[in-house]
Amino acid sequence: MFGYLLKRLIQMLLVLWVVSVVVFMMMSFTGDPVFMVVPIDATDAEIAQARRILGLDQSLIVQYWKFLTSLLQGDFGHSYVFRQPAMTLILERLPATVEMVLVAMVLAIVFAIPLGVYAGANPNGRLSRAIMSASLLGISLPGFWVGMVLIYLFAVNWGIFPSSGRGDTAEVFGFRISLVTWDGWHHIVLPAVTLSLGTMAILLRMTRAGMMEVGRQDYMKFARAKGATRRDVLYKHGLKNALIPVVTIFGLQLGDLIAFATITETIFSWPGMGKLLIDSIYRADRPVIVVYLMLVAVIFVVINFLVDLVYTLIDPRITLK
Amino acid sequence: MKYLNRNMWRIGALGATFVLASAGATLAQEKAVTIGLTSDPSHLYPLAGEELSSNIMYYHLYDALVSRSPELEFGPGLAESWENVDDVTWRFKLREGVTFHNGNAFTAADVVYTVEKARASIRPDLVANVASVKAVDDLTVEITTPKPYAVLPNDLAELLILDEEYTDQTGDEKMDLMPMGTGPYMLEEWIKEEKLVLTAFGDYWGGAPAIQTVTFRPITNPATRTAALLTGEVDVIQDLAVRDVDRVKSEDRFQVITRPSLLNVVLAMDTREKSPTIEGKNPMTDQRVREAIARAIDMDAINKIVMNGLATPSAQFVPEAHLGFVDGMDFREMYPVDIEKAKELLADAGYPDGFTMTLDATNNRYVNDAQIAQALASMLAKINVNLELNIMPKSNFWGYIRVPTENSSLIMSGWDVPSGDAGSMYGALFYSRDKKEGYGQVNRGSYSNAEMDALLDKADSTPDIAKRDEYLQEATKILMADIPMIPMHYEQDVYAARKGVTLVPRVDKFISAFEMDVD
Repeated sequence: MFGYLLKRLIQMLLVLWVVSVVVFMMMSFTGDPVFMVVPIDATDAEIAQARRILGLDQSLIVQYWKFLTSLLQGDFGHSYVFRQPAMTLILERLPATVEMVLVAMVLAIVFAIPLGVYAGANPNGRLSRAIMSASLLGISLPGFWVGMVLIYLFAVNWGIFPSSGRGDTAEVFGFRISLVTWDGWHHIVLPAVTLSLGTMAILLRMTRAGMMEVGRQDYMKFARAKGATRRDVLYKHGLKNALIPVVTIFGLQLGDLIAFATITETIFSWPGMGKLLIDSIYRADRPVIVVYLMLVAVIFVVINFLVDLVYTLIDPRITLK
Repeated sequence: MKYLNRNMWRIGALGATFVLASAGATLAQEKAVTIGLTSDPSHLYPLAGEELSSNIMYYHLYDALVSRSPELEFGPGLAESWENVDDVTWRFKLREGVTFHNGNAFTAADVVYTVEKARASIRPDLVANVASVKAVDDLTVEITTPKPYAVLPNDLAELLILDEEYTDQTGDEKMDLMPMGTGPYMLEEWIKEEKLVLTAFGDYWGGAPAIQTVTFRPITNPATRTAALLTGEVDVIQDLAVRDVDRVKSEDRFQVITRPSLLNVVLAMDTREKSPTIEGKNPMTDQRVREAIARAIDMDAINKIVMNGLATPSAQFVPEAHLGFVDGMDFREMYPVDIEKAKELLADAGYPDGFTMTLDATNNRYVNDAQIAQALASMLAKINVNLELNIMPKSNFWGYIRVPTENSSLIMSGWDVPSGDAGSMYGALFYSRDKKEGYGQVNRGSYSNAEMDALLDKADSTPDIAKRDEYLQEATKILMADIPMIPMHYEQDVYAARKGVTLVPRVDKFISAFEMDVD
């Protein structure tokens, strides 16, 4: 187990290093941040001064070296546009994204697993077909469209939920969290539902496929013959075995949503970090983009590790080496 | 114990808030307004950078020596009056009894400090025409210019005055988050990307604004911005999407407010002998070719089809009432759309079969910019001038078209002159390049005309503002005849608000709560 952890850690560092190099080099193609902060009729001298102040007067290699060395000292660099530490900018916005994603994922699981099990156990039922058609919609409808429709119906037409923003927050362990206020919940419903639909549909379809697969296995028939209830057979024998691929997908989706909830955040003006990424790309704000993507890499590596741990819990035959 | 203390403090604060709130309620109805902006400001420190949302905040929090009305008239600000001591020296009499939000008195030393601070910052352009600054006494400042410069006060309207003591203590980086000015509003709270709350500054020298609390909310998506207005979450929105105008107008509860902005969308033509994207000699060195291109572009059609009527075709390079504007002269009347005439002109110049070049344009800077570029391509195709479109986001664009222009033959961009004076724009755009420092720095077409240079020199060396106007008008006439650049249209600013909100749209696009009222 220890060896496994070490291997994972080394892998992660390697991934981070590669991400930093690739992103840093790629960013030189996405535009010059100097022109985003100086007036358009700035003279050469003015541009040069801005470049010097931002530290952009050195070659990309030198800039990268500086970035890397200060990184090792725990300094993740400063945004050119906001002039604040890049990490602070991202961490400020992280809670908003994480809470929206968590609500979305909980929604997805709560609906997807039972519906998927049902549809897998009764593949030809009318209800099953209805579920499957709905899930197809969930996969194919683009998030921004769903978001706009929800805003139009629930905010503009019926006035049930607010159209945008995060609502009241309260401080919990130093983080501003909106899940502890009524107003916060009021605001999170629409974006979380929008974000969850795609994942919900995918998890549902994976669960159904898994259930249909294990449904043909002998042990399911034995269990039933032994006298176990239908419910027990489905959830205790069947679901447990159908779950491995679902957990994998769940992990990937979780990482995906945290990293790139951008569209939903933009539609609902949700002050999360996805919007920060897009703004930073528009403004060629290199340090923020690099740190952001490195953080995303960390999130993926950690989630994948957790997914592997969950495997061992579901299936004792799997061990971590 | 620590925990207990903190809570005691909280209860105390809560009590105090309650008392204050009820006291306020008995005095007057608190007026508050929520404004939906297109983006969150990047910073609140006026010397940190230039971008619309930040600019809007700067002008709520800070003041300049010279104020600027919604119509771009310049008047007293932190300076009560000013006079010319000699051709290059200006004496500013500062307003007495002005304090910063922290209670510090505003004095001449703060002005001197701000000028020096700007010089070392990312915005040295703010004081480019200031040679020296000196505090004569606490309330008098003397500013000299490198040469006679009649419109110095206009420039100073953009230099927002900092509190020396506070700024030095706080440091540049924290100033982005913790502003301190003399402006009509103070920062109450800024939660990034969520909301920025300002409260009226009780001791404001210009009198307390009508609205006590202003909340700015960044809502990037135009459809969401409209929705937030329709649901009543915000009272005012900036940049109502063109397609939502009718929807908002259709309801009695709302009003749509429009006004032409200062932003002139223009087409710059390369006039060098050899142009990067044109094979052989550059046809655009010939005035007849430039005129042919101008005559092939139907601005009314672009306005109607691409801009949904929400643009104002530009008569000249600067808007009316600017120094340098020639009354009664209209580019569109001088060069009306005429395809036959355009073809003739091309043939006369020796290009009966037209030519091919690349048009550089943005896709996220101006309203419908990429569509305008496409429209230009199809219009010029009619006179066999074939445009290959090279369209990119603005973060790439400004670097790509940088002077000396190594990539471009034809560039679509936009210009505004918030100083109300054509001089700085002409000097940057049309002065022969590399002839004089600080001139021709964005002369992307490499236009060069000795007569033009001489006029701008004269304009920039007279202390007489009427004389300056005369010289600049002469310059305008030359440009209108020579056509190094085609003025296309002014974008229209579109706001929407609930009824009961009085919004004064400003030409400089700054939404100002201190010029606003609600019932």
